[in-house]
Amino acid sequence: MSVSITKDCIACFACKEVCPQKAISSGQSAFSVIAHRCNECSDNPNGPQCAHICPVETAIVDNKGQALNPLGSLTGLPQDLNVIALSN
Amino acid sequence: MTLQHLRQSQTKQPVSAEAQAALVAKHPCFSKEGHRYARMHLPVAPACNIQCNYCNRKFDCSNETRPGVVSKLLSPAMAARRFEKVKQHVPETQVVGIAGPGDPLANPKATLASLKAISKIDEDVHLCVSTNGLALVDQLDALLAAGVKHLTITINCIDADIGQKIYPWVYFNQQRLRGRKAAQTLIDRQLLGLEAAIKAGMLVKVNTVLIPGINDFHIDSLAKELGRFGAFIHNIMPLISDPAHGTYFGLMGQREPSKRELDLARQSAGQSMAQMTHCQQCRADAVGKLGQDIDLAAIEQDNAVADSTLRVAVATSSNQLIDQHFGHATQFLSYLVSAESIEQQRSIDWQQYCSGSDQCADDKQQDLNQLSQFNTVLCSRIGHTPLQELSDLGVEVNTKYALREIKEALLEIQQSLINQVKPAKRTVCNAGECS
Ligand code: SF4
Ligand code: SF4
Repeated sequence: MSVSITKDCIACFACKEVCPQKAISSGQSAFSVIAHRCNECSDNPNGPQCAHICPVETAIVDNKGQALNPLGSLTGLPQDLNVIALSN
Repeated sequence: MTLQHLRQSQTKQPVSAEAQAALVAKHPCFSKEGHRYARMHLPVAPACNIQCNYCNRKFDCSNETRPGVVSKLLSPAMAARRFEKVKQHVPETQVVGIAGPGDPLANPKATLASLKAISKIDEDVHLCVSTNGLALVDQLDALLAAGVKHLTITINCIDADIGQKIYPWVYFNQQRLRGRKAAQTLIDRQLLGLEAAIKAGMLVKVNTVLIPGINDFHIDSLAKELGRFGAFIHNIMPLISDPAHGTYFGLMGQREPSKRELDLARQSAGQSMAQMTHCQQCRADAVGKLGQDIDLAAIEQDNAVADSTLRVAVATSSNQLIDQHFGHATQFLSYLVSAESIEQQRSIDWQQYCSGSDQCADDKQQDLNQLSQFNTVLCSRIGHTPLQELSDLGVEVNTKYALREIKEALLEIQQSLINQVKPAKRTVCNAGECS
């Protein structure tokens, strides 16, 4: 059981500050989750802390590869500005 | 509002007038007269606990000069080294601030370690911290203990209905809050922090980003409230919303205020709060006097030559071979390696990092700061936790010489030092990173 970090990560260190398991590893260029340490914050009613603070959509995924912060869920930006323009 | 007037109106300030004047005089961000003194921002704090619609967290390109942007993060040890270098070049550097690129108080360990390392080098330096205020009440005692007397809090509004148009989310109490609740939580915490910091004798500047149509009509009541709390000075800054920066406001076409709108806002807020008008909205890694930023690359290049000595720590039990697991070491031999010589220094007594099992206990919080003076640690093996912590401190760990002679390893290190061609010229941007 473990979440993982995708290439969308911008290396902001926020998840590392809040992970209670010290499961986040910050390499030179890429961040990753040390799988055997991560328990998906199963003892926390709020769920994965890393995903609660991560500012980037789709940077953290669950063990099925699903983004914990799907596109559009954080920025509130319309997903395709062009589409909005077209629908006018 | 004159300074005299200001002092009278600030009866809530428990700091004596002289003490306050001294705090102000040398700080370029708190007083216009302070511009003779230089300031230095140390980019050690990347994480943030809130999102603002005028900020894009993808800090990367050194071409950009907007606030909050830096090109390279520093570890606390590297920050201290940078301060030493800058102080050599610009002795007027009186002020060291930590302002990001995230929120310093969302990175309390790195922030406090940097502040402490700096005041060890120069105890007269003014330390300041800029924060969004969310974690201020929690960290205030630690900041005071580290000697921080200047604080900047960014408060854009005191009305959660306005706040929810500025802050899409806030991470608080182990969860991501959104909407009105997020804004209300942030505002409550900001005001609590503001009050506590002022009570504790800090000089507090409040930054406000002026956003037309969102908080411009509210600036007056905000300034009144800030005056009531006893904030020292108010800095109203124009929103920057170039779409190229990729911020929410930028992409959504939120316009920037005109010069006239800014002047008007400052004028009317000036009724209740002293206004700061010389702010340059600097980057989180700015160095030098206001308006005359120093080329850091030049300084660091220049020092690359002086830097060609390496401090090496060696974990050994036999004093011959590099045969000690980092976690078992009770002392480190210390060497100074340069192209000309290899000198042994006084060795370092060390409290064993862990008991010996391969899996170091995760909660073990041995202070590795003492090793931050070294460039490289040589040992036979090392656990993941200390490896990570050392790399956070900017210390390289090398196990490739495991079980080899210390002398031999040092000679090889010396050789690579000699072979090191002069560092390649810094390219302005990593390809593809700045769009
Ligand atoms: S889910 Fe929890 S334990 Fe796993 S990496 Fe994220 S914060 Fe750490
Ligand atoms: S919080 Fe998200 S973006 Fe930041 S380092 Fe962690 S995974 Fe990467």
